[in-house]
Amino acid sequence: MPNVPVSFDADWMDLLNERMKQDGPWDKWELFQLTLEAEEAMAIREFDQLQCLQYLPTLQPFPHQLQTAERVLNEMRGRAILADEVGLGKTIEAGLIMKEYMIRGLAKKILILVPASLVIQWTKELNQKFGIPAVAQKKEYMWRQYDVVVASIDTAKRDPHRRHVLDIDYDMLIIDEAHKLKNKKTRNYQFVKEIRKKYCLLLTATPIQNEMDELYNLINLLKPGHLGHTSSFSTTYVEGKRQAKNNEQLKTELDKVMIRNRRSDGGVHFTSRRVQSIPIELSPEEAALYQGVTRFVKEQYHTGSGGYNSLALITLQREVCSSREAAFLTLYNMHQRAAEDSPVRAEIMELVEMIKKIESHSKAAKAVELIQQINDKVIIFTEYRATQNYLQKYLHDHGITSVPFRGGFKRSKKDWMTELFQNRAQVLIATEAGGEGINLQFCNQVINYDMPWNPMRVEQRIGRVHRLGQQRDVHIYNLSTVGTIEEHILQLLYEKIDLFEMVIGELDDIVERLNLKQSLEENLISIIMDSSSEKEMALKLDNMGQAIRAMRLARKTKEPLPETAEQ
Amino acid sequence: MNQQRVRKYVEQYLSAFSSHIMETHPDFLTVKLPVEVDKDIGNRPFYWSWVEKMNLPYQPLVLTFCFDPDRMPDDRRAEHLHLGAARLQQIFQSTRKHGSFVCMYETLPQTRAQASSRQSVPLVPWLGVNWKVSFICDKKRDLILHFGVNLHQPHIVRDFYPFLLQRQLAPSIPDYHYTLDRRITISQAFAMMEAEIRRILAQEDQTWAAAAKQRLEEELQILEAYYRELEERQRRTADDGNEAANEADKGGDELQDGHSGKSTGSASSAADNVESAAAEPNGSLNLLLEQETERQTTAIQAVSPSLEEHRSAGGRILDFLRANSFQETPREKIDQTEWVASTPEEEKRRRMEEMRWQYEPRISVQFINGGLFYLQSAPPSAPPHGNGRKM
Repeated sequence: MPNVPVSFDADWMDLLNERMKQDGPWDKWELFQLTLEAEEAMAIREFDQLQCLQYLPTLQPFPHQLQTAERVLNEMRGRAILADEVGLGKTIEAGLIMKEYMIRGLAKKILILVPASLVIQWTKELNQKFGIPAVAQKKEYMWRQYDVVVASIDTAKRDPHRRHVLDIDYDMLIIDEAHKLKNKKTRNYQFVKEIRKKYCLLLTATPIQNEMDELYNLINLLKPGHLGHTSSFSTTYVEGKRQAKNNEQLKTELDKVMIRNRRSDGGVHFTSRRVQSIPIELSPEEAALYQGVTRFVKEQYHTGSGGYNSLALITLQREVCSSREAAFLTLYNMHQRAAEDSPVRAEIMELVEMIKKIESHSKAAKAVELIQQINDKVIIFTEYRATQNYLQKYLHDHGITSVPFRGGFKRSKKDWMTELFQNRAQVLIATEAGGEGINLQFCNQVINYDMPWNPMRVEQRIGRVHRLGQQRDVHIYNLSTVGTIEEHILQLLYEKIDLFEMVIGELDDIVERLNLKQSLEENLISIIMDSSSEKEMALKLDNMGQAIRAMRLARKTKEPLPETAEQ
Repeated sequence: MNQQRVRKYVEQYLSAFSSHIMETHPDFLTVKLPVEVDKDIGNRPFYWSWVEKMNLPYQPLVLTFCFDPDRMPDDRRAEHLHLGAARLQQIFQSTRKHGSFVCMYETLPQTRAQASSRQSVPLVPWLGVNWKVSFICDKKRDLILHFGVNLHQPHIVRDFYPFLLQRQLAPSIPDYHYTLDRRITISQAFAMMEAEIRRILAQEDQTWAAAAKQRLEEELQILEAYYRELEERQRRTADDGNEAANEADKGGDELQDGHSGKSTGSASSAADNVESAAAEPNGSLNLLLEQETERQTTAIQAVSPSLEEHRSAGGRILDFLRANSFQETPREKIDQTEWVASTPEEEKRRRMEEMRWQYEPRISVQFINGGLFYLQSAPPSAPPHGNGRKM
């Protein structure tokens, strides 16, 4: 072929000559045939066809994931931004592409840079789902010892690791959560720019968070100059900081380097969420305690005589809705902190006496009833450790097996608990939804024993089970005690704004864009504490719900870039 | 390769090593690995080194291979074997290791005349080689070729392997047969094959290479333009900076933007500035040199013998690890301050190299396996080109 260099393997001749001289040892004819058969099976017959699926019999990718892999391979030539919306499986797409290049013998040395909290998850997923022998980087020697290394960018950029990374020619570089590289002045950005790579995938759900420049910077990591220079880019494409112009042209350019699948494109079927509120009538003793605590909290909030900060008070207020154990612990701490002669002590003791009088726990009893009725794996979320411990004991007393789960657990313990839950226990009692990478899709029943006031946290809770791979509809039970703050919160925040009906990731967007996360909880606190009557509180909460609703509607009609660029 | 084929393959592989199949079931099979197989696919080099050094009797590894992931046996540990399974790839490697070179003789049932006359039959020596030709750019395609070269009366045929499959072959020379002499060497035969492969390649569809070259050309142009403009800009800002410096207090140090770090102090004339700017590339050149030596040392590390070679030469694994394992950088050598971003020049060079690495079309011809075949019957000597062109 003219002008195309051809290299011939000639090493075999010496080996053959040697064997001819010695007349052996000769290999078996059967193995000779099998060798050829294996080569035939693994030979790549076509330039363009995806080969990796026959190597991944247990993986069932979605059509959009396959299309993405094919486009990256054939059109983008292995350099792309994968910008699917949350929950569409960017990791799977990256895995497919990686596997394809490995099978074709085009990629061997691969570096995957991810946030530290995701290192183990990536490693696990690549090994389990793709049979790619990825290792999590722990020691310095591993950069060279292993071909596929998963590491955190913050480790990789530091000496002595940096020296190794910058010294290796990587066949492929993958960066997860790449939007963190939006600023070209950061050390991380500079570092990534120095890495030598053949193919490169940048994964992000939010290619643009604020400014158009962010996208430009990402693309410059991938293909410098593809969108011209900063200034020419700005004059050609940027109207205001967040507004694009020449959309058509920009879209064509972006199409060459970025793929963004959206949930609304269809093709991916998410199972639905079935939300149910479970009202719980308090026993007279419990109601008395609730009233007592509420009175105490309000009084302290306004007079400040005990010297407690508002956060502690609001916590107490919420805890009393969760369990008497949780409230007791806080009351006990408050008691200890109060001065010996403070009148607060007496008040607290009074409340503690009320706790002592309570014999049954209506909420826990309801939970047990629910679990027995569900008769399947259940995850119970609570905000409080004390409630968690109490529930575990309570369930045990009722013959229900459960395992605890806390954010503070070490990674290995988390995995162990997940496994116990999957194979041995009926219930997982979790205090925290976080712990990225804990996938519990095998369970489809969630009980919110108490409600976080931050909607993001509720979404995270549900997101543990309601994600790609969940085969069944997800049932969510919200326990709320009648006539308490909990009821208001649930009703107004979660029912009025349809929190539970939002598609996966939608809330992410809303909260992130409107920046209402901080104010939301604070607003709630002030509404609850400053309202002089139930009615006033209800009204204020209702207003707030409507405001959020309006924001949501506004978002639907006026979507900023990159959505506009893609339409 | 479908699952039936995978199973057949594994069974043939195991039987080639006379493995003891302990149980066979429609969905799985349990096998006690023979030593050779265990060493190749058992993943326990330390165990083997220990057993051999201590001269201990070895415990054979017992594995269960299952061919249907939905029907794994539940009374034992089983692993799902399929084309993508790491274990099957190891089996492939092991097969290759033990299936590279053969020497076979054709056995034909003797005719009565031959038997009665006790006349010896001549066998013609052939060199048969299977090749994998890979067309590589940012993508890849393979072509497998089977050549045979007659070493007695030198000529070359294609599709030699399919022809062989139809013969009766045995590893030792049958009675009343003798072999004809080889008139060319292996390397001469290789030269013939090389010429033939080049001739075939010239006839192959070449649009892929042309397209790859064009893509590369485009990418390089974009880079060229981008970095040219970047350079302009930097010069302009540098000029601006210098003017500013000139106007500023003459004694003070001026921090320059970007990679260059501190300039050598604000100079009173533009000429000095040019000099100091010229000095910097030298600095980065030194750095490059340093990096280069470092790279070379690591390259030397990389060519040190593999564990396999070390062990087959009778070395201990531990010694190998001591000699070859990567040394942790001592604490005092860790330096977080040493951070030099590339100059635009270096960056440009790197990006361009990457593009060539990614796109440049090339063809690699790999030896799969081969051997000597002493044949009585002649393969069809149709013109070697024309047929068997699988795309």
